Parts: sequence; C-alpha cells; structure tokens
Amino acid sequence: MTCREAIDVLADYVEGTMPADLAAELERHLAGCDPCRAYLATYRATRALVSAAADVEMPDEMKTRLRRFLAAQLRTS
Amino acid sequence: MTRYSARVYRLAYGITRSAADAEEVVQDVFLQIVNKGAGFEGRAALSSWIYRITTNVSLNKRRGKHRELETSLDELLPTYLPDGHRAGERAFLVADWSGTPESELLSGESRRILEAAIDRLPEHYRAVLVLKDVEELSSDEVAEIVGDSVAAVKTRLHRARMALREQLTRRLGAGA
Repeated sequence: MTCREAIDVLADYVEGTMPADLAAELERHLAGCDPCRAYLATYRATRALVSAAADVEMPDEMKTRLRRFLAAQLRTS
Repeated sequence: MTRYSARVYRLAYGITRSAADAEEVVQDVFLQIVNKGAGFEGRAALSSWIYRITTNVSLNKRRGKHRELETSLDELLPTYLPDGHRAGERAFLVADWSGTPESELLSGESRRILEAAIDRLPEHYRAVLVLKDVEELSSDEVAEIVGDSVAAVKTRLHRARMALREQLTRRLGAGA
C-alpha cells in the first residue's frame, strides 16, 4: 500500500466501515510510515474539532423571535 | 419545537455561516412544517424531511453570496510523488498538532483559523460535513438528504476534512 492509497481510504478507516483485511493492510502501512501516522492523527483531530466548533446553539433571543413568529403565523392561518 | 429548532439552526448556520441567514432559514423551515401539518409517517420521516428542507433552504440562501471566500479544494489536497509517497518537506509531512488540547485548539488564533477554513469550503461540502460530523448521520442518510450518491457524499466529506486538515496544519503544524 502506498501513502496515496492509505490516505484515500482514511475516511472509511476512522469510521470503522473498512473491511478487516484492508484495515490490517492500512495498519501495516501506518506502522512504517511517520507521515501517514501524522496525517491520520491530524485527520481525526480535524474531524473532532469541526464537530465541536459547529455544535452551535440558537441564541435565546432568536428562540423568542421564532416563537413569536410561529404564533403570529398560526393566528393568521 | 425545541427538539427540532436546535438541529435546524445548527445545520442552517453550518451551511450559511451567518446567524442572520440561519434565523431566516429556521423561520422558513418551521413555516413549512406548520403548513405541512401531520402528513408524516412517524418521527423518522419528519426528521429526515426537516434535514432535507433545511439543507435546501440553506443552500438557496447561500446562492450567489460570498463566492469570493470559497477556495478551490484541489490546492488543499495532498500531492504525491510518482511512487505514491506524499510530496513535500518531511518536517511538514510529519507535523502533528493533534496532541494539542482541544480547548486550546478551539480558542484564540486556532479557533479563528478553523472558522476561516470552514468559511472557505464550498457550501455543498459544508452541508455534508455538518450532516455527517455534527449531526452524526450515516452516509446513506446524508446521501438521501442532499440528493446525491453515497459515493459522492463520501468523496465530498473526505475532501472537506482533508482541506480543513491541510489549512490547520499549514498554520499550526510547525508550532505544535
């Protein structure tokens, strides 16, 4: 397995949807490849960061405006 | 309302990257829910429909806006030598900032770099990224919501993550 082939399949690997034989082949490559190990570690970290950063909450004043908006819509419908 | 408004806002903000646009999307989506009434066969169908309509309304809201911010992903994807090894200086190739505490990466300059990198993703990539990595839907569910194939969803997700990883590593790698 080359670095190109390893990086191509990282998404399936981190999500645990990769067939066991391919995962074993990838892990053999990772064991001997510092750049791909670093790539995998930072790929995983990126995924975790995006998940945390994009977990935004609707501001309270927006919730209030939404309730008022829907109440007004229901009254007129 | 509370059950769905949180996820509608999260997805709308994730795609539009604007609180004002996301608020308009939320109002539009809830108006459609009210008008649609009880025409759903169970909560799963309603949930899937809400994700679909939120994605569509958000993408429409983005149409024609901020295109100048969006960058070509190709220049942010890994490049390779003819033998399949990655091209580039070894110090950059082995740069690993993943040991930095998440709280540190989610604050200050690191947070600004991350937010800017997300801003620069094309909106169709952001939609898949939020549905998959924030809403934690399966690739099959995301494909149904965005109206694309599972293979296309997986490709888009992988490219989006690689582009974000590259931008973070360019800015954080040397100092990590």
